[in-house]
Amino acid sequence: MEKNCFKSKIWISFLALLVAMPIFVVALSWLFPEHELWAHFSQTLLPSLIGSTAILLVGVGVGVTLLGTILAYLVVMVEFPGRQWLEWALFLPFAIPAYVLAFVYLGVFDYSGYAQVWMREVLGLPGFDIRAGSWAIILTFVLVFYPYVYMMARASFKRQKINMIEAGKLLGASPLRVFFKISLPLARPAAAAGLLVTLMETLADFGVVSLFNYDTFTTAIYSAWGDFRSIEVAAQLASLLVLVAFFLIYFEKKARGQAKYYSADVSNKKPYHATGVVGWLIALFVFGVFMLSFAMPMLQLVIWGWESVGEEWSAKYIDLIASTSTLTIAAALITVGIATVLALPGHCKQDSLWLKGVIRLATLGYALPGSVMAVGLLYGINQISAINMYFGGESINHIIFGSIALLLFAYVSRFMAIAYSSIEASAQQIKPVFTQSAQLLGASRLRLIWQVYLPMMTPGILAGGLLVAVDVMKELPATYLLRPFGWDTLAIQVYELSAEGLYERAAVPALIMVVFGSILMLIFQGLDKKSSKTS
Amino acid sequence: MLAVKDLSVTYQNNKVLNGFNLNLEQGDIFALLGDSGSGKSSALRFIAGLDNADNGRVELDGRQLSVSGKHQITPELREVGMVFQDYALFPHMNVEKNITFGISNQPKSEQQARVKELLSLIGLKGIEKKYPHQLSGGEQQRVALARALAPSPKLLLLDEPFSSLDKNHRNQLVSQVRSILKKAQVTSILVTHDEDEANALADKVGTIQNKQLTIK
Repeated sequence: MEKNCFKSKIWISFLALLVAMPIFVVALSWLFPEHELWAHFSQTLLPSLIGSTAILLVGVGVGVTLLGTILAYLVVMVEFPGRQWLEWALFLPFAIPAYVLAFVYLGVFDYSGYAQVWMREVLGLPGFDIRAGSWAIILTFVLVFYPYVYMMARASFKRQKINMIEAGKLLGASPLRVFFKISLPLARPAAAAGLLVTLMETLADFGVVSLFNYDTFTTAIYSAWGDFRSIEVAAQLASLLVLVAFFLIYFEKKARGQAKYYSADVSNKKPYHATGVVGWLIALFVFGVFMLSFAMPMLQLVIWGWESVGEEWSAKYIDLIASTSTLTIAAALITVGIATVLALPGHCKQDSLWLKGVIRLATLGYALPGSVMAVGLLYGINQISAINMYFGGESINHIIFGSIALLLFAYVSRFMAIAYSSIEASAQQIKPVFTQSAQLLGASRLRLIWQVYLPMMTPGILAGGLLVAVDVMKELPATYLLRPFGWDTLAIQVYELSAEGLYERAAVPALIMVVFGSILMLIFQGLDKKSSKTS
Repeated sequence: MLAVKDLSVTYQNNKVLNGFNLNLEQGDIFALLGDSGSGKSSALRFIAGLDNADNGRVELDGRQLSVSGKHQITPELREVGMVFQDYALFPHMNVEKNITFGISNQPKSEQQARVKELLSLIGLKGIEKKYPHQLSGGEQQRVALARALAPSPKLLLLDEPFSSLDKNHRNQLVSQVRSILKKAQVTSILVTHDEDEANALADKVGTIQNKQLTIK
């Protein structure tokens, strides 16, 4: 046993620490302080950036929590017209990258957008600056990210025993009291998990904030690297983001609490039926969210795409699609492979704080903006080269910089958490009795993994792979900084066109991406339905 | 006191009840005996106002609760209590909070007095601050009973409340529950598939035959 554990400890630690490398590099940057630049940043930029980042996080956090939880409650607990298709339609915004929704809304609502032109010329109202203040960018983020909270809260409401709500009713509680006293407290851990993901995504965002010209912490990191060429200060600023992430994770853990509240019986019966006007009002509200977050932006994309496809389409799109798919598939396979090794159940992991710790580290990359990931990797490689040259070797920069390997490394570090949490969730369903009975039947560890663990983890592995693929396809900042020559992706094309205000033409690559993303999400949905039926 | 008239229920495309009638007097403890799928739970859930029926009328203490299979009065306002098969205690609330859930409109001091009274009735003093998962199955069941009794319902429904307890424990609890119900003087309907349990707990026992109720 002892020896066994030693081997698996080495393996898991190696993989986890490799994945977590960019975080270490970022932390190590504190060994090389640049006092002058720091003084400049902390006096001029930092206070206002922290303020605007905080406003953004609070606004988006409150927005997604309210919207996601209410929508999830309505589709799970209340029967209303159109509920069945709206329940899955609300997932569709997952297929639209945040910066695509941002450029569509900008294209329609900024000064030269037709909504404002119409307001000024037909209604005679004064124009407004959609980039002023933070309401527009907060709304955009809420419309893109509410599905995270919706997804988690929905799953949690579904697992709540309907008996409990019926008991509440028979004790005289109104629907609102049942919601606030019973359903919501029980769903709080799940909603908090969704909120955590949203806040991390918001912190890590690059596309939306740069299209809206909204300065956040990420902007400062860019500025340090781009304007001042100081990889150290960029990395030091990034390490502060990692601290915020630790903080958020800690709070989410606390919110999760100790008790487990769930039942296994998933019932399709709705405890409440909203008929008449109330039913239609609820339907209108839910449908409205769907329209704003998916249907109308999609329609706009299709119109723009149709108008500009002749001008925009060329043979280079074949290359864009090819490189996007290659990177997506490769990154998904590697990420899922490593995540599976990390998530395999085993007695060693159970009592080792060290292993739990390194795995936690490996999943922290989710909190790092893709750009920081990139900066960290470049910095790390640069340091290795320096050490190598000190001992008389050669620089390895030219081999590694601008190679696909580095970009894939960034993807794997960045999206490990998504694959891991999905696979780990299915691994947790492997009860110790399965392991014990297989062992009593004489199965070796290898056979146990192959014939018991992996088949049971397959739904989680597939789901994790799909989610990583969707995210890699949309990924912008790391790709932007690390892509090798000739490896432009669809995301890069969208960003470059929309940054120049060519929204109509950006619709073409955006549509291709959304179609691919939708297909992946539909497969994910199918898997989700299948696994909820069998479990 | 309670009158159920002409109840018909279709369950999974099967007519399970047709012309079911039941009359109870104040303080009666009645057991409805039947196999699974016989429609006994459907009858109970209709009386509680949780599910609709094809046809049927419920009258409680002179109030029309349901007419022609539709509910005139929602479950929230029916003054009917229910103990569920799995107890459905709220896992995030302690025993005291669970019991006071249905009497939250009363003054705090009255709520606390009521909790004390009920806990002594069910023989579990001093567990106010415990959470459901810290209690045994039998204790949870009695807390669920106390919670249902707290608002002094006119009618108490018990849906297979003993089925998840072990046999030895069960006999003892059945007589305990009977004495609690008698002390509380609440009209009750127990649904069960166990004949011994029905006989030990109830004053009257009925079975479902030919989709109708036959009193033994």
